Amino acid sequence: MNTTSSQIVIQGNLDDLEGPDTIKISRSVDFDQASIFPAVTGAAVTITSNVGDTAILTEISEGIYVTDSLQGVAGRTYTLNVLTEGKTYTASSTMPNAVAIDSIYFEKSLFGQEKLITIDFKDPTNSTNFYRFIQFINNAELSQFNVMDDKYINGKEYSYSFYRMRMNNDQSLESGSTVQIWLESIDEGVYNYFRTAGSDGRNSSSPANPNTNLTNGALGYFNACSIRKIATIVP
Amino acid sequence: MKNKKFYLFTLFLVLLFPVAAQQKFVVSGYVKDAKTGEDLIGASITVKEIPGIGAASNAYGFYSITLPAGQYQVISRFLGYTPQIENVDLKSSKKIDFNLTEQSNELGETVITSQRKNENVTQLQMGTQKLNSKELKNIPVLFGEKDILKTIQLLPGIKAAGEGSSGFNVRGGAVDQNLILLDEATVYNASHLMGFFSVFNSDAIKDVTIYKGNEPAEYGGRLSSVLDVKMNDGNDKKVGVSGGIGLISSRINIEGPIVKNKGSFMISARRTYADLFLKLSNDTSLNQASLYFYDLNAKANYKINDKNRVFLSGYFGTDVLGFGDTFGVNWGNTTGTLRWNHLFSDRLFSNTSLVYSNYNYKIKIKTSQVMNIISRIQDVGIKQDFQLFESGKSTLKFGFNSVFHKIIPGVITANDTTLNSLTNKNALENALYISHQYKISDRLSLEYGSRFNMFSQLGPGNFYTYDTKGATIDTTQFGTGKIVKTYYNIEPRATFNYLINEQSSVKMAYARNVQNLHLLSNSTSGNPTDLWISSSNNVKPEIADQVSLGYYCNLKENEYEFSAEVYYKSLQNQIDYKNGAELNFNDNVESQILFGDGRAYGLELFLKKKYGRFNGWISYTLSRTERKFNEINSGNYYPARQDRTHDLSIVGIYELNKRWTLSGTWVYNTGNAVTFPTGKYTVDGITKLYYSDRNANRMPAYHRLDLGATWTNKKTDKFESSWTFSLYNAYGHDNAYTITFRDSETDPTKTEAVQTTLFKFIPSVSYNFKF
Repeated sequence: MNTTSSQIVIQGNLDDLEGPDTIKISRSVDFDQASIFPAVTGAAVTITSNVGDTAILTEISEGIYVTDSLQGVAGRTYTLNVLTEGKTYTASSTMPNAVAIDSIYFEKSLFGQEKLITIDFKDPTNSTNFYRFIQFINNAELSQFNVMDDKYINGKEYSYSFYRMRMNNDQSLESGSTVQIWLESIDEGVYNYFRTAGSDGRNSSSPANPNTNLTNGALGYFNACSIRKIATIVP
Repeated sequence: MKNKKFYLFTLFLVLLFPVAAQQKFVVSGYVKDAKTGEDLIGASITVKEIPGIGAASNAYGFYSITLPAGQYQVISRFLGYTPQIENVDLKSSKKIDFNLTEQSNELGETVITSQRKNENVTQLQMGTQKLNSKELKNIPVLFGEKDILKTIQLLPGIKAAGEGSSGFNVRGGAVDQNLILLDEATVYNASHLMGFFSVFNSDAIKDVTIYKGNEPAEYGGRLSSVLDVKMNDGNDKKVGVSGGIGLISSRINIEGPIVKNKGSFMISARRTYADLFLKLSNDTSLNQASLYFYDLNAKANYKINDKNRVFLSGYFGTDVLGFGDTFGVNWGNTTGTLRWNHLFSDRLFSNTSLVYSNYNYKIKIKTSQVMNIISRIQDVGIKQDFQLFESGKSTLKFGFNSVFHKIIPGVITANDTTLNSLTNKNALENALYISHQYKISDRLSLEYGSRFNMFSQLGPGNFYTYDTKGATIDTTQFGTGKIVKTYYNIEPRATFNYLINEQSSVKMAYARNVQNLHLLSNSTSGNPTDLWISSSNNVKPEIADQVSLGYYCNLKENEYEFSAEVYYKSLQNQIDYKNGAELNFNDNVESQILFGDGRAYGLELFLKKKYGRFNGWISYTLSRTERKFNEINSGNYYPARQDRTHDLSIVGIYELNKRWTLSGTWVYNTGNAVTFPTGKYTVDGITKLYYSDRNANRMPAYHRLDLGATWTNKKTDKFESSWTFSLYNAYGHDNAYTITFRDSETDPTKTEAVQTTLFKFIPSVSYNFKF
């Protein structure tokens, strides 16, 4: 396997909920090396908005930059600016309006007897919406995530089921487990990142890196999103 | 210069006044198999008294030869058949039909080619391979089903697209750059069961010719090759039944006369039943699964009179992949051809064909409602071919071809109401061609000609223009039948053959090919749901220019045949996808495409032992195929996925005794060019892979040995039967079908490569009968 120069990796989230927002900065390593990813310390990290909000993020531990002062507002465009080792990386993301989850329940799978977590929500009619669905089982986030657009469901009530991958070592749905679902409303740039990052291009004849909204060759994404949550217990 | 002018002038004269000076007459007729009445394609007709001239029977068995008045012995030969000699006292034009008798299959006389003994040396075409069904009989294959598409992959310059795949790459071309014709109808997807079987049922097939980019001007439409498959006409003397029963498939073939010696029919059907074994499983996810295909070939022909004959042929095939009644994918081809042969004179042969072709797939998902996703490509066309046998030295072919293509890229329905549909695409493709085959001297012959192609994309619909990022910048609405965009292309073709002596020759060829239908496939293996698109306001026709040079020689009285060919091909307007391209159900799919150039070159060596108890061939290809896109690998040339430096096939067949025939094939090739990760990083707690250059890595080399044995029961006049045994991948080499990467289970800090192997030690047995 070839070796490659190390790349900057930025993972940034800003949401409309209370609580700190975090930007993680690390570096890639060669394929043959151990999966220990060096943190990027001492970077200058700021988030600004199109209406003049500004936050300077503090590095609370190696490579983890946090702000408490900024709460996202739907409709605003936020710009992340990272300056490290003499190079600047930026990304902009516009926070969409939140979409509420109406209900959560369990539905029988088409294939076999498994129960599938299902949520109902109504897609807004007058906007193009992009969604990211995240599952937590007993407060542990599942590594599998899904995104979709509203091309076929615009303005409709929609039931979304979480299909389960057998090869995943994630926790199974046992009776009594707590299930929490996040419905993130994301913008198109972030959607394109997750859409192309989903399979990692592994099934494609010409795999490639995901389409990022970051500049200057950085990997990862900056996501300004609205989040709605719902929880239940597996019967 | 003067000579050249004189030569052109002579050529002109030959064209216009073929029977000027001397009193000349025409000998014409058909060449047929005496026992079955099947037309023999490519049988040679020679005249003992004038060694320089000759003819070959055409696709319908017709030949015509012009001679001065005189006494002649006219001989027709077809390999594996006893030659027939007719004494002719030529005072007026004569009709002579040859009915050749197949030689009894004595030990050591295995038919290995349908060609004349030194056909490869003397025939004008280069980069061409012919096969007939009989040649397939003893070659071992996967699941024991003999298959023409698997066998051609053992020939030089033709490579399997993947393990067990029916897809193939010719001289570095993509899988969609092969024109696959079944009785003149385009077959858009030649695969059954994900490619492990092809749509060609060898019981129904008479003759297969593959042209590796130097096809004559009557063919056109794809860059890399033409695979011309012709169905049997059916026995017009007596009714016959043949068939086979295998572990996972069975087939039956019925043929016979409609009116004895005037018309015949053939029906051939197959069904696989691999899924019956799944039913035995206790696993609910397996025993409800269905996975099978069936197909049917049918053909009928009738001779109205000496001048008119009609043929009707069709193919119907369906693949079913499903799970209970909740999920299913069906796909299949349907083709139909209605042909009319007409003799305007004993020198002017005409064929008119009405051709229909359809490929569709349907995905069904049943939840609270029934959802269907449907997609289709459909052709309706007319083809007119004339063949003028000017003299024993000159043949002129000309005609036209008009096809209306309709592409329905996708419709989604729920409970039979349309939920969503992509814009249908219509296109009209017209082509005119003319081609002249001329024997300048006993040594030198040539064929030259051209195809004139006109392709128009037609309304109705909205047609978009995009900026470089793929955003729509303009939308124009076109009404029904309005022309959105037309492309005109000239495709010149020429081939020269210089005979050094009776045993060796040198050939040279140039051809331009243009392709207006393009397959979008982003998967590693090719899917039944891959989408065809046409040239349009955004997509330009693909163009290939190929030059080739070859040396051909036969050794030991034609027992051995050797050829060496080199080629260089330059490609324009090649198609690739932007990173992360969205090809599924996207009306703006043309915005997801990149355009670039390509080049391919190589050396092909072929040595065949044609006769004897031991026969077979060795085929070796040394080649390179590269692409160049501004957006990929900084605009540098990089290897195409199907680039394989070395490709070697060895086929051996040995007749042990009258009962047993043993066979083996061994193949070796360099692995495909692929993109492996060079680094890794973490996002959201997941280790992700980092890719740098496209196709900078290689799959491991592929090699495999297959063994076969055929036991033939004692033949009687009434009944023949045989058992065929085969073992695929006999030494169980772990060939990589895919290589994927994941976090190691034992050490999560490591990332490991995981290789998937499909087939090792696959045995099969089938029983074949004929009465």
